[in-house]
Amino acid sequence: MTIDHVLTLLLVVPAFGLLPLYLYRNDPRATKQVAVVTTLVELVLSLVMLAQFKVGEADFQLVEKAEWLPSLGIRYFVGVDGVSVLLVPMTTLLTFISVLYSSGGAIKERIGSFMAAFLLLEIGMVGVFVSLDLFLFYVMFELMLVPMYLIIGIWGGTRRIYATLKFVIFTLAGSLVMLVAIVAVWLASGPEGSRTLSLPDLIAIRNTFSNEFQFWAFLAFGLAFAIKLPMFPFHTWLPDAHVEAPTAGSIILAGVLLKAGGYGFLRFALPLFPTGTQIWLPVIIVLSVIAILYGAAVSTVQKDLKKLVAYSSVAHMGFVTLGIFVLNPQGAVGAVLQMLNHGFVTGALFLFVGIQYERTHRRVIADLGGLAHHWPLYTTFFGVFVLASLGLPGLNGFVGEFLVILGTFQFGGVPLGGLFWGPLAAIGVILAAVYLLWMFGRVMYGPARDHYKLLPDLSPIEVVCAVPLLLLTVALGVFPQPAIAIIQPSLDRILHLALDPTWQVAVR
Amino acid sequence: MNDIVAITPEIVVLLTAGAVIVADVTLSRAAARLGLPLIVAVGLLAALYAPNGVALYPSQAALRSTGVFFGGFVQVDAFTNFFRALFIVLALFATLVAPTYLARKQVPAGEYYATLLFSTLGAMTITLATDLITLFVGLELMTIPVYVLAGIQRRDRYSNEAALKYFLLGAFSSALLVYGFAWLFGVTGSTRYSDIANALRTTGLANGPTIVALSLITVGLGFKAAVVPFHQWTPDAYDGAPTPATAFMSVAPKAAAFAAILRVLVDAMGPLAVDWSAVFAALAAITMTAGNVVALVQTNTKRMLAYSSIAHTGYILAAVAAVSAGASSGAAVLFYVFAYGLMNLGAFACLLYLDLEGTRGPTLDELNGFSRREPFGALTFAVFLISLTGIPPTVGFVAKFLVIQPVLDAGYVWLAVVLALNAVLAAFYYLRVVVHMYMYDPESGAPALISSRLLSLSLGVSAFAVVLLGIVPNSLYQWALGAAAPILP
Repeated sequence: MTIDHVLTLLLVVPAFGLLPLYLYRNDPRATKQVAVVTTLVELVLSLVMLAQFKVGEADFQLVEKAEWLPSLGIRYFVGVDGVSVLLVPMTTLLTFISVLYSSGGAIKERIGSFMAAFLLLEIGMVGVFVSLDLFLFYVMFELMLVPMYLIIGIWGGTRRIYATLKFVIFTLAGSLVMLVAIVAVWLASGPEGSRTLSLPDLIAIRNTFSNEFQFWAFLAFGLAFAIKLPMFPFHTWLPDAHVEAPTAGSIILAGVLLKAGGYGFLRFALPLFPTGTQIWLPVIIVLSVIAILYGAAVSTVQKDLKKLVAYSSVAHMGFVTLGIFVLNPQGAVGAVLQMLNHGFVTGALFLFVGIQYERTHRRVIADLGGLAHHWPLYTTFFGVFVLASLGLPGLNGFVGEFLVILGTFQFGGVPLGGLFWGPLAAIGVILAAVYLLWMFGRVMYGPARDHYKLLPDLSPIEVVCAVPLLLLTVALGVFPQPAIAIIQPSLDRILHLALDPTWQVAVR
Repeated sequence: MNDIVAITPEIVVLLTAGAVIVADVTLSRAAARLGLPLIVAVGLLAALYAPNGVALYPSQAALRSTGVFFGGFVQVDAFTNFFRALFIVLALFATLVAPTYLARKQVPAGEYYATLLFSTLGAMTITLATDLITLFVGLELMTIPVYVLAGIQRRDRYSNEAALKYFLLGAFSSALLVYGFAWLFGVTGSTRYSDIANALRTTGLANGPTIVALSLITVGLGFKAAVVPFHQWTPDAYDGAPTPATAFMSVAPKAAAFAAILRVLVDAMGPLAVDWSAVFAALAAITMTAGNVVALVQTNTKRMLAYSSIAHTGYILAAVAAVSAGASSGAAVLFYVFAYGLMNLGAFACLLYLDLEGTRGPTLDELNGFSRREPFGALTFAVFLISLTGIPPTVGFVAKFLVIQPVLDAGYVWLAVVLALNAVLAAFYYLRVVVHMYMYDPESGAPALISSRLLSLSLGVSAFAVVLLGIVPNSLYQWALGAAAPILP
């Protein structure tokens, strides 16, 4: 089955859901149905998009272009390549799961507004991964901001307002600096009248960017992505935002929003500013390894279940930046797989922490315990995701982290080389096993507590939410090759662009 | 006859103002309540589409007469028409949001609408001016009615204070301005823009009298546009004036001041403008930072918006400072002024939903739970605030993008960074209003709400425009680009 303009359809389908959502605003049942159906259609559409994607090609596919601000050379320009084509279905799947879970009773008030925020958020998230014009990318990057701000601020926990303002101010500070850099790139792209913000056109003329320009431009772009990702030391907004966000918000925040940062590095920062990449690379390598170790160490001492998963995200995202910036195929493929895996696994972990919290109203690990006695189904699912998160071979978390560490060992650049950083990163994996298994033991086992006895195990809706994530976790762990085959060609091209500042690629 | 045809829109606005005054004394009170705004709306739309009107659509372009009229005192070009349209739209907006407020506060409605129209007429005259004398007449015709508007709630002492402060400082700045004009006349021997430009081309900046003239005019127009450090009147005047009047006076006089800055300081004194741009850049940085920092600590929304409007002056001034970038600088100023007009007027008008004593605006706490009590009003307010912050997909974002462009092009990288960081500061206090509206529950003792269909309708239309122009900004940008061409080709 082929559908024309499938990427544009992906961007407008959620918008179409807004109207019935408004019309049925006084009927919670109908709003839930509208939101679930809309996100399901979006999910199916993204799978159709994936089916239309030709594996093995490095270039952008399913490309659509239209004039937007012609006098400024700004276009509506979308397309996918191997790096982005898997992130789109990941986004639509996680959104569908979030909406489905939330419609099961997790969100009790203002459900219509909640669903509207999610649909708007979905436009922004899909848009980020398919935009090939920097202006469009920026618009989509910021479009994710306001709905998430409202989701945390309205439906969040007790300190939600502090958390949501911190989240917005941090993110906005980074992205506005990037906006200045985008304008600078636009000005540097040619004489007046022929300026552009289209990524392929910019890649074609990137060798005209001076070293000094690349230094500053990479810094500005990198700051925005580093805050979004978040990289150490810009991560402080993340634990607050996660702890206060409603479950669905946490799933999306960890599962998709953080990926926008890693994706931004790969899509824009590396190919456009190869010299800037080389200059900043040592800093990012060091910060990545710090993030891996620091995130793991801090996770170990967390008392709050959600905060533990949040800090583990910092460590996991450290693997993403490390894999990207060792600039070799193993590391980069590992980084992209890690982004996907972290989306599914950490999304699932937040889902299960949320399910648990909804029943017990406890999140402090010391208050929990013995849950495995009452909840066999819950324990099985949660156990698999915990094992995937700590990198057990045979589950997906292992593949990404293994490839990243493998790539790190081969890293020959400054400072100190891969033989120094590789083992350090590996220590992070061991620490992950420590804090995750310790947490799992304290929460699930131990003496059964009477007051949790009557709480029910997973409901059918929750099982429906968890099963696709479980299947993907196993499938990507046992047989990652199809995913690697999709990612590899485009990634090789990006690495070639990053390693060889003078290399020109034939663009359409 | 050509002269008369050239200023048809102004004549229509004048006649409408006359019609309002006549209708005010002839119509019964009940009929006047909606009859007067109706007359104003019809008159303003007629001005927009008059035979030689502003022509919002291309087919009318042929009917537009451009050129110099009244023996060189008046000039009609694309620049004029852009601002004419803007002022008419703003006056229409300020009219449609006002009726309920005016009736409730027992403000004489006829006087309000007529004064508003006279001020609009003055603003339009400023953009027609091609001579310092016409400019001064326009400036006074615009500001004197605004003093009246500020004090029109005459039993309210804050309204009185606002009017008096605005009047005293306005008169002072007019005096400075006219003194500067005199110096300029002394240096160049003419009040005509084109003659001034020619004369300055030979003399240059490097002589005392020119610098005195330039400084005085900068300070004078800086007062009108509320540039720091000439902004001291702004918070009290905006805060104390009746809210519909505040909405209008925060946008129209500012837009007119920037029209004058472009015409006089960039066009007429163009030969000096590049030398002067460093001063503008410094003023822009100080203005946006001071406005934002003080807005940060405000707890009253109306006063917060007053300070934030100072910050927006700074953003626009940054684009003016980038004149050496050419056409994109002028287009950025015009685009920003238009966007600012829509969103800032809208933001002030959203305060009209709350029934408060005097001219007071709501505190942040009084907005708690506003989104539950008035979902539509809260949504439009949120749209305006997000646009003022500069977050896509709103017109405010495109405006910021367009301002950063010439600023970088002119080499003011530091100014672009200051601007970006200021937008973060602004996000904090704008979004705090959204926090109070959406994330707190309504408190007992919250001010009563006023429902007005006309208010909701006009706010809805303009909020929709703010989003639509953010998604498809091209036509507005092309228009701004064309309109800036006479000044900065």
